[in-house]
Amino acid sequence: MITPFADVGYIALVLALVVAVYSAVAAVAGQQVPALLTSAYRGVGAVATLVSLAVLALWVGLLGHDFTVRYIVETSSRTMDPLALISALWGGQAGSLLFWAWTQALLTGLVLWRSRARYPALLPVVTATLLAVQAFFLFLLALVANPFARVPLAPDDGRGLNPLLLDVGMRIHPPLLLTGYMSFVVPFAFAVAALVTGDLSRTWLTAVRRWTLLAWAIQAAGLLMGAWWAYHVLGWGGYWGWDPVENAALLPWLTATALLHSIMVQERRGMLKVWNLGLAIGTFALATFGTFVVRSGVISSVHSFAQSAIGPYFFAFVAVLTLGSGGLLIYRLPALRAEGQFDALASREVGFLANNWLLLAAAAATFWGTLFPLLSEAVRGVKVAIGPQFYRGVNGPIFLALLVLMGIGPLLAWRRTSRGSLIRNFRLPVLAAAVGGLALLVAVGLDRAGAALAFAACAFVLGAIGLEFGRGVRVRRRAGAGWGSALTSLVTTNRRRYGGYIVHLGIVVLALGVIGSSFFQQTADVTLRRGEQTTIGRYTLRYTGLTSYREPGVAATTAGIAVQGATPLTLHTERRVYSGWEQQPVTGVAIGTTLPWLEDVYVLLTGWDDAGTATFRVFLNPLVALVWVGGLLLLIGTVIAAWPVAVRQPHAVRRAVPSLVGALPDA
Amino acid sequence: MRNPRSLLGILLLWLGVALAVPTVYAQTADLDRQTHEIGTALRCPVCENLSVADSPSPLAGEMRALIRRKLAAGESRDTILRYFVTRYGEGILLDPPQQGFSLLVWGGAFVVVVGGAALLVAKVRGALTRPPGTELPAAPASTADPSDPYEGRLDAALARYQGDRSW
Repeated sequence: MITPFADVGYIALVLALVVAVYSAVAAVAGQQVPALLTSAYRGVGAVATLVSLAVLALWVGLLGHDFTVRYIVETSSRTMDPLALISALWGGQAGSLLFWAWTQALLTGLVLWRSRARYPALLPVVTATLLAVQAFFLFLLALVANPFARVPLAPDDGRGLNPLLLDVGMRIHPPLLLTGYMSFVVPFAFAVAALVTGDLSRTWLTAVRRWTLLAWAIQAAGLLMGAWWAYHVLGWGGYWGWDPVENAALLPWLTATALLHSIMVQERRGMLKVWNLGLAIGTFALATFGTFVVRSGVISSVHSFAQSAIGPYFFAFVAVLTLGSGGLLIYRLPALRAEGQFDALASREVGFLANNWLLLAAAAATFWGTLFPLLSEAVRGVKVAIGPQFYRGVNGPIFLALLVLMGIGPLLAWRRTSRGSLIRNFRLPVLAAAVGGLALLVAVGLDRAGAALAFAACAFVLGAIGLEFGRGVRVRRRAGAGWGSALTSLVTTNRRRYGGYIVHLGIVVLALGVIGSSFFQQTADVTLRRGEQTTIGRYTLRYTGLTSYREPGVAATTAGIAVQGATPLTLHTERRVYSGWEQQPVTGVAIGTTLPWLEDVYVLLTGWDDAGTATFRVFLNPLVALVWVGGLLLLIGTVIAAWPVAVRQPHAVRRAVPSLVGALPDA
Repeated sequence: MRNPRSLLGILLLWLGVALAVPTVYAQTADLDRQTHEIGTALRCPVCENLSVADSPSPLAGEMRALIRRKLAAGESRDTILRYFVTRYGEGILLDPPQQGFSLLVWGGAFVVVVGGAALLVAKVRGALTRPPGTELPAAPASTADPSDPYEGRLDAALARYQGDRSW
């Protein structure tokens, strides 16, 4: 069906590009001319409307099977259901870029709406920066990767989406990650605005903290969904493979984590100013790099379903934004003098500094490993692979140290911690770690001392977080509150702090899952006749039989497995062949979680013969469920910490501050 | 058996058997484990970022069977890995051999971690080297809300008062 929608979409994109360029210029000029500024802010609305129109046009084309459009031919087919057609928007390169442009246009509107009154001085440059980035993507869409380009001869049916991408997880994971990558543009824009306007007070930090938290949470959700998808669809028994695309998504998340922590040092002590600006800029540069890696196919990997010629443009874009903002930063160096200094090693700020060191070291090592194959190819002409061994070897110890630090940091006081309070604060967590570690060492044996050490670190952090919650609750209990209300009021009146602890709790739970599944995984390949059974670990698996069925576009064979163990399970694993993708059958993994060790029995059908004898790959993955639980806790904690508060009325004490400061005695 | 030499011979024979039997037994029992271990070192050629041990692809299955046959025929881990490298190139190894140019990947990571530590130490050196007599007064253990504007300002003013340092 030929529709005019593609043309409407293309025209909308070109108009959006024009409006974005105009508004970016007008926003900068508008600092002198208020009327221009008003028109620039209206331009934001116009860009959002136009890009939304383009997205709508592509969706109409996808749903209406308009196979005169190349993108629609390449990413959809007639057998796909409407939901799958809608998710085809991000199934290819041009569509992903359009999705980025769209979500960024909406986010720019949101920033304008939320921050216009609060940061009137910064917002013109913030808007101009956001629109400039927007214009780059619109330029790519209009001239390099046009999602509305037509094919000379329309086929009857499209090629359809890669069957691996048909899973529900894949409908959520890519848009989340793309949105996450994109959202790091807001902290970047505020950093640029602070540098351009010279307003380097703490104003930009407050804005950046909340927007960074938002981006960080979206990216975390995207990473978790990606892990979930890999675990449930790819069928290799794991959820994180240190694949270049996974690494690329992890990098900005790590640096944003660093930023969220070092911001606090600047808020409290007026230090690390240059560092924070650099982190905001670097995070967005890495996010752009990530989008580029995902969508250019530069580093071939499982995820590189899309390839094209956008590489040089992205490279130039990252170079311009890094050099430009780096130059601004150097220009403003004299105005970025630290207001304080480090007083003692045992202080909160040194804790944050160590946190930043570890996070940045992990990010840099991961970046290095991800790019190393390209370097090797360029220098030696040999393309080597950097597998999980490298990343585990380097990042494993770093993450363990971070975990320990997560327990230490919150128990340190700002400036310096006295010896007495050190002993008082660390008694309980250290005891928890020692007892937990020793008990586990006895349980798992010396050959898995690494696991016992990691679990002990988790116990230490749990002890530290418990201590913090316990103290707060006790104070409120003394005031007469019940347990429940004491806990609730503790969290709600101090959301930033206790929301943060809930995030930490989520990380510990997630870490428990990661440690459990990476140290205690068991694997077996078994061949079974119908009705035959085998024993793996604590479980007896009986193969109950093979059935086949057909649905439009799919032919599937399903094998039944009855699992006997602490929790009896019935599992069905299948092999699906999608029409048009006969060379790439998809395995439906069967996963059953058993109690009490939250062990996943993970079974996939790898082959069968005419007699009905089938081969299976079985993984026993303990504690993986905790990865998802921890991830959920992390997101809940972030929401608690970041949810907007009503602006507090300034009270008497605050007005009294200047006179108080003036009356300080000599040190 | 008065001949001490024959006694020694029997003892050695017994020792040899005692050592060899469990070894042979362990070898057959460990064939799966060894196959898996070698599989984890090889990259599945059709799926790129999965090991041969982990990959569900048919090719990886064939490669696992081949590794098993070669192990059963008495080939060593290195011989088997070399066989795959000559057939597929160095890229078949999931982790590059730890020699020559590829050592750079570990070296780079090492430099990053240690370099960061050096920067960190340089940054807090002031706190480390300050003579005990000139210590700054310890702030009260601040467990209060860090976003409290009053405390923030007070701290900032205190910090300004105690001297400037460029970062």
